[in-house]
Amino acid sequence: MKTGPKTGTKVLLNILLLIYSIFALFPLIWMVILSFKSDAQMYNTLFVFTPTLENYRIVLFTTDYPKYLLDSLIVSGFAVIVSVVVGVPAAYALARYDFKKKEDIAFQILSFKFAPEILVVLPLFMIYQKLHIYDTYFGLIWVYQLISMPLLIWVVRGYFEDISVEIEYAAQVDGYTWYQIFFKNLIPLIKPGLVSAALLAFIFAWNEFTFPLLLAGTNVQPITVAITKFLGTDTAHYGQLAVAAVVSALPAIIFALCIQKHLVRGLSFGAVKG
Amino acid sequence: MARITLENVKKSFGKVQALDGVSLDIKDKEFFVLFGPAGAGKTTILNNIAGIQVPEEGIVKFDGEIVNLVDAAHRDTAMVFENYALYPQMTVYDNMASALRSKLYKKDEDYIQKRVHEIAKMMNMDHLLERLPSQLSNGQKQRVAMGRALVRMPKVYLMDEPLAHLDAKLRNAMRTELKSIQAQFGTTSVYVTHDFMEALSLADRIAVINEGKVVQIGTGDAIYDLPVNEFVATLMGDPEINVIPGRIEKTETGYRFSMQGSGKSNDLPEDKDLFAKFEALGVEKVDLALRPQHLVYSFDPVPGYLHCTVYSYESIGNKSVIVADHEGLQLRLIAPNGLRVKIDQDVYVDTKLNYSLFFDYETKEFLARYNEAEIRKIAEPEEEEG
Repeated sequence: MKTGPKTGTKVLLNILLLIYSIFALFPLIWMVILSFKSDAQMYNTLFVFTPTLENYRIVLFTTDYPKYLLDSLIVSGFAVIVSVVVGVPAAYALARYDFKKKEDIAFQILSFKFAPEILVVLPLFMIYQKLHIYDTYFGLIWVYQLISMPLLIWVVRGYFEDISVEIEYAAQVDGYTWYQIFFKNLIPLIKPGLVSAALLAFIFAWNEFTFPLLLAGTNVQPITVAITKFLGTDTAHYGQLAVAAVVSALPAIIFALCIQKHLVRGLSFGAVKG
Repeated sequence: MARITLENVKKSFGKVQALDGVSLDIKDKEFFVLFGPAGAGKTTILNNIAGIQVPEEGIVKFDGEIVNLVDAAHRDTAMVFENYALYPQMTVYDNMASALRSKLYKKDEDYIQKRVHEIAKMMNMDHLLERLPSQLSNGQKQRVAMGRALVRMPKVYLMDEPLAHLDAKLRNAMRTELKSIQAQFGTTSVYVTHDFMEALSLADRIAVINEGKVVQIGTGDAIYDLPVNEFVATLMGDPEINVIPGRIEKTETGYRFSMQGSGKSNDLPEDKDLFAKFEALGVEKVDLALRPQHLVYSFDPVPGYLHCTVYSYESIGNKSVIVADHEGLQLRLIAPNGLRVKIDQDVYVDTKLNYSLFFDYETKEFLARYNEAEIRKIAEPEEEEG
């Protein structure tokens, strides 16, 4: 009986994976190392240097960095909440009801993700100026829907389609109203997909750069944009830059690790198989 | 408990006319079976009664009250779905208790527990109560789906092929069980099946449905012995009824039937009513239909028997089915099992003509049969009340 690939193949595969992981992780490791270096040692040491927390102290306590972090949290968090509140009913409608141009609308929603952001950002800038929502939380949360909503709708729609409509009928016959059915029977079934799509949308929103760069200024400044401030006009404080990047990456990494299992299962499995 | 009336109900899905003017009158406490081939519209009828779908035309009444505008939750029906439709995130117990926990049909938890256990015991699945639907076999899921309906005391039970996925032994046991449950509860039941045995054994009355229309309504005997057309006759019975096209001619003493092609011709046995009917109808070309049990055969030549060859032979346990071929006309007949029969060997077949049914050759509608008056008396009992 064969139980798996031969030992030789296994070794080869592992070597390949190792090479890839070094390739993928090295920039991150390098970034972490940089964050502990002082400016003096920045260019003349590789792995041997005197580690210092000076960069961390400067970034976290002497700049507005925590405020930027909070801005990022507010904008990304609310963007996802809005997407869930609006997207789940939209996904249900696209999955269950038959109406004219249904597929066209679904595709239209998906196509929001196709266009390069840089392409639409200029007209959006003009519109935002006119509507006086430039550089506001509301404005950013709104434009972030372009990123988080299509993903959420398409994942959750698939989950709704996997639930046989007879389950809803059965609950109706059992004497439940539509709202009760929706919250008691359907939401638990789409939960894995909903959670993973929402968290993925959060990470995308967190990493967004183009929109906040051009549609926000001084009032609202998500972390991705704020980091560029550490590139001064005269000197580049690479150590501080690295600290800012490390800290800003943390929430996304923590989320991803927490839901790793959930993420893969949620995005690849249907809800009611078996 | 309710009397359910459908009047000229029409329903279409896109271009498909699923129901095309269905009228039914299901009496209180009746076990009513909807029988027909796949895609006939049986499930759609159930959905319209349950209120899951609303007819585009026509009226649905419960006890004389029009319920077209009453939603599914308020109609007080219990339904067994063909694909079970169990709630995947709930245990079997919670699935069964679901209806009794809804606002409309609320019962206290003590009652629910008693009732669920009672039904679970009856369905022989009390060991499954803590499981999730994903941990059940299809047969078990089907029993849970049945159980979920039975815990309630609704106006009507609607059952969509509830026994289809059970193994044969359990199916027979459940059939008996169902019949006694229904007799005990006295609840009106509408039951969908495509299995004629199930239909005949369970039903007080059967409605044969085809292509969204009611073809015939009657007792099992009436459907079996007095089918309104060839379609109904062929649906009921296994092996299928034999249809022999031919023509009838009047002779000095009575009537004579000649098979189409080079078949033989026989004098029809005397039946005054039948001959009178032939006289009145004045038809010539007919389809003569005979159940397989009314054919006799011999492997040795017998004068007057029709010469055929064996087309196929299947042993099905307590009997076997021989399909005999005569110039393309296939006749199914029942034989004892344990025969040594070779394909293409000669077989001689005769017909017990005094059991025949006659259908119009063109329209395939029922014309007449032997002993019609007598059979009609048995098959269509007098209405007890108006």
